[in-house]
Amino acid sequence: MNINLNVELVEQGTTLHLVLSGEIDAYTAPKLKEELLPLTKRAGASIIVDLENVNYMDSTGLGVFISALKSTKEHGSELKLVQLQDRVRRLFEITSLDSIISIDSTVRGGN
Amino acid sequence: MESKSCVHIRQEWDIVGARQLGRERAKEIGFGTVDQARIATAISELARNIYLYAGTGKICFTIIDDLEHKGLQIIAKDDGPGIRDISQVMEDGYSTSGGLGAGLPGVKRLMDYFDVISEVNKGTEIRTAKWVR
Amino acid sequence: METIRLDLENYRNLLKEYLVTKDETALYRAEQFSKLSMQHNVSPEEIVHVHIEALKELYPDLPEAVDDSLNFLLEAMISYGLAYQEFTTLRQKQSELKSEISVAARMQETLLSTVKPDIRGLEIGAISVAANQMSGDYYHFVADKDDDTLGIAIADVIGKGIPAALAMSMIKYSMDSFPESQRNPSAILENLNRVVERNVDPSMFITMFYGLYNPNNETFSYASAGHEPGFYYHSRKNEFEEIEARGLVLGATEQAKYKQYERKIKKDDCIILLTDGVTECRLGDRFIERDEILEVIQTYIDLPAQEAVEQVYKHFERLQDFHFRDDFTLIIIRKNV
Repeated sequence: MNINLNVELVEQGTTLHLVLSGEIDAYTAPKLKEELLPLTKRAGASIIVDLENVNYMDSTGLGVFISALKSTKEHGSELKLVQLQDRVRRLFEITSLDSIISIDSTVRGGN
Repeated sequence: MESKSCVHIRQEWDIVGARQLGRERAKEIGFGTVDQARIATAISELARNIYLYAGTGKICFTIIDDLEHKGLQIIAKDDGPGIRDISQVMEDGYSTSGGLGAGLPGVKRLMDYFDVISEVNKGTEIRTAKWVR
Repeated sequence: METIRLDLENYRNLLKEYLVTKDETALYRAEQFSKLSMQHNVSPEEIVHVHIEALKELYPDLPEAVDDSLNFLLEAMISYGLAYQEFTTLRQKQSELKSEISVAARMQETLLSTVKPDIRGLEIGAISVAANQMSGDYYHFVADKDDDTLGIAIADVIGKGIPAALAMSMIKYSMDSFPESQRNPSAILENLNRVVERNVDPSMFITMFYGLYNPNNETFSYASAGHEPGFYYHSRKNEFEEIEARGLVLGATEQAKYKQYERKIKKDDCIILLTDGVTECRLGDRFIERDEILEVIQTYIDLPAQEAVEQVYKHFERLQDFHFRDDFTLIIIRKNV
């Protein structure tokens, strides 16, 4: 079983692209948290998380995004998720987290 | 009767020197081969700790031979960073899980007496002894 | 030293016997010697030592190189001896921890236990199985004797194991402390959301579905806090319909509002509630789709409700090689009048 998650950060001024690939579950979520949370503490930063190559995410992953969102509000940064695969998007819809986290509404691949 | 001798630990090679001196002292006072090997292993652990974490320090041997005890006392002393959480370092599995060897719990097992005094940013002194049976 | 001396005698005889006969019996005795040594915490270097001593007694003119090489082996065994002793201590600690956790698990079971109530015209089946010793799933029934209504809560805490179980106990106690007049699904979720938001780690959240059935007007009112959608089973058409209810998970923001929905329940129809341990069943690299789950439920839906949930559980248990990755909870409520 693939339990790896790759995290790549591309900085363009205040825009921070975090490109993820792999699976986000109880094993890899701590790594994501470690990478994502410090970015949300930069005031004025605009963080774009690209989930195009994330084929699985469980509720632990949602938890990381919730704490990241709380942190952006505290520190004056922004968080946006883009290119979600259907299964991942469904998780955000069921939990209604798409109503509080900014999620790119374009279908995967269309950008 | 007391006689004290020390080995300075500055490089990895000095670990061997400390083992050798410790083993000679142990043989002198009458430890058998198994206990000699145990004492040498304990010295290795103490000396390697100094070499890895403090950089330099020394290991001293005192032969104790009075009415109550007959044995070898080993004191490992350094002026290194000290141990922040001694209880954690003394816990089984703490150093072995990182593949660093038997660690301080190992030394405690090999010897009959064991005590650590450590202050952060000042250094560490470990006193340990084994008695001839 | 006394016992080792005694053992030396024994060992020397065994060794002698073996050197003369090359017999399997002596080797078998050596095995027993080794087991006995372990029972008495005799370390490997001591056995090597006993071997050297026995050999020297049997062969007084042992070549020096052999003697030295055996001493070399003794040195090499010291660290193995230490590792073995450490292992023994850790194993003991592990069993202490295990029994502590099972005490906690039994406490949780008592704390969260719920009784399936007898409600006029309803048949209830419920099963909840933890992936580990402690569960992060929870379901609870509240029957009101005055007006015959039934409250049903089903919830899932993010993650599993002990942290999830602790959070669940908190939820249960908050619910118990709400006034009895407070039975409105949307109001209950709004109150719980505030409790969770204030009291748990920012990355922790809980999903919950809360429903209230009133047999007097045969109405089921409900609200959902981001919980895995359940199903309404139309018995006449033999069809499942997803129960739609939108609402944010508990603990994500301080002020969350929950929309309350209502529907009439017809005779023989069912309400099916579950946690994502059911829908997140994995088969190797593949997930079981919701349609497949419905097929399984459909197979057993005509059984009495309790039997049906148990059969569905057994089906998925078998499918996943009897090892669930997540807590599993399934409730079926059938209206039979």
